[in-house]
Amino acid sequence: MDDRLGTSFFSPRRAGIIALSTVTQLVRMKVFYFLAPIALLFVGLQFFDVFWYEGPEASQPQQELMMHKNLCLGTMMLFSSLFAIVSTALLIPGDIEDRTLYTILCKPVPRLDYLVGKLLGVISVIFVAMLVMDILMVVTLHYRTQAVSAELGEYLSAIGWGEEEVGQGQAEVASHGPSLILQYGVLAHFFKASIIAAVALLISTFSTSTLFTIASSVMIWIIGAVQSLAREGLFTKGEYGVEPGMVDRILGTIISLVFPDFQLFESVSDGAARAMEIGVFDMLHLGGLTFFYIAIYTVLSWFVFSDKEF
Amino acid sequence: MGRYAGIIMSEVPAVQVNRLVKDFKGSFRGGGIRAVDEVSLSIAPGEVYGLIGPNGSGKSTTMKAVLGLVKPTAGSCAIFGRDSSKVDSRMEVGFLPENPYFYKHLSAAETVSFYGKLCGMRGAALKARVNEMLELVGLEEARHRRLRGFSKGMLQRIGLAQALVQDPRLVVLDEPTAGVDPMGSRQIRDLILDLKGRGITVFLCSHLLEQVQEICDRVGIIHRGKMVNEGNLEELTSMQDRTEIILQDAPPELLEQIRNLVDQANKGELVSEGHPRSSLESLFLKETIEAESKQKAVSAK
Repeated sequence: MDDRLGTSFFSPRRAGIIALSTVTQLVRMKVFYFLAPIALLFVGLQFFDVFWYEGPEASQPQQELMMHKNLCLGTMMLFSSLFAIVSTALLIPGDIEDRTLYTILCKPVPRLDYLVGKLLGVISVIFVAMLVMDILMVVTLHYRTQAVSAELGEYLSAIGWGEEEVGQGQAEVASHGPSLILQYGVLAHFFKASIIAAVALLISTFSTSTLFTIASSVMIWIIGAVQSLAREGLFTKGEYGVEPGMVDRILGTIISLVFPDFQLFESVSDGAARAMEIGVFDMLHLGGLTFFYIAIYTVLSWFVFSDKEF
Repeated sequence: MGRYAGIIMSEVPAVQVNRLVKDFKGSFRGGGIRAVDEVSLSIAPGEVYGLIGPNGSGKSTTMKAVLGLVKPTAGSCAIFGRDSSKVDSRMEVGFLPENPYFYKHLSAAETVSFYGKLCGMRGAALKARVNEMLELVGLEEARHRRLRGFSKGMLQRIGLAQALVQDPRLVVLDEPTAGVDPMGSRQIRDLILDLKGRGITVFLCSHLLEQVQEICDRVGIIHRGKMVNEGNLEELTSMQDRTEIILQDAPPELLEQIRNLVDQANKGELVSEGHPRSSLESLFLKETIEAESKQKAVSAK
């Protein structure tokens, strides 16, 4: 027997073994089949024009590319978040119902290893799925950008614009094509889905049913998306300059402490779709925040799960 | 005797349960339930111990407390001297739950390998151990088959393979033959006897009293959470005021002489005589094995 694994309170290798098993489980559950309709959707977007897009003579031809990006990023966000909730909600209660958990925890497996392994497994599958969707998005966007750019070039030349001006117009279109900024948007959705998986993990440690876990996680997902608005309403002066009361302040504080703020992630994604400037430090900040949320929810899950009886 | 022969003489019990109490909280209106009430037991290394009792008597809860799956309300449990609530105590334990379900997406070999990895095994040693375990439980031919298509008996055997993968000194079996046909049941019983031969401690609970009697050294009888009797199986089951003599091919004259001797002695009483019966299980196995042999012979022709 390899003693290096030991029975310390956490073993990254053992968590890795459980993560790999979770990935195998999800892959053999054929979860990647969901990617087929998404691929069709992304390819189908190539042939879909926005109703306000009236050809290259329109003032902002990049609108078409923004729509493409928004739909792709939106699909990725929806798929990754729902996948994070459903897969995490199914795995732990499933192991309890099947008594698979008995045989795992009766081996020298600390409960933290089990939780971290399950979470890492789900996050790994989300990562792979998002990578595939990202590649699809980039490829389809690349061809769409080339088509829009060529059409714009032809139109501008036909109405007598100079070569330099045509080049400028095409450069403006190209800036809305595949770029590093766009990848930041994808990364923001990956971070968000990872946090949602950690939230679902926490709920599944004390939940009595998969349905409850899914419903509660979806609720937290929605609250997380609008919590900045709620906080704003509870912390700032009202329409008539009325100061928020003690109850509002306490409620606002509880909301901001308990629920993750997904607005930040959405802002990055929106910015990426609009090809706005997003700095590396902004992304590092977002990554740090993601790590913080995941760590907090995992530690809370551990507290609940370590005392759980089977 | 196997590799643990030296340990058998050790002072430290394989399992030590001291005045274990386990209460389960009830609903808001109803009261709680005391599932285990001041149960104490000690299992020596190398011993096969059977815990028997009706449904809901506290057998499984006692086992779960020993395995650290439930926390004692009072009292303590230890495995080879280590507090069973600590993870390191499980290095020495293999557990087969009642009606085990494993990851159905894994094959037999992958399942045993997964549990081996959780115990820190890897590389060639793990591969060799997986092969050894599959051979031990007779599932080499099904090694690449996913568990989804396994019968109950096969699942039970793969459960035993995973329980034994890290070469534990203690094996805990919860109803190991539940729902298994007599043939599979016999195989599992033989495996337990094989473990006993190798000096591995076995702690099992079962409803099949005949089987418990066949393989256990000691038994504990638990009822409504309390240990009502415990001891050596021979001592508990033998009728001290009766003697059994079994004769092979005895002629009627000899039997008549024995009857007369008992009458003349005027001490003791002949209670019954007759032909000893084979168990229904033995009869079933004999018939099915014979039928299978005949079938094979016909196929060979």
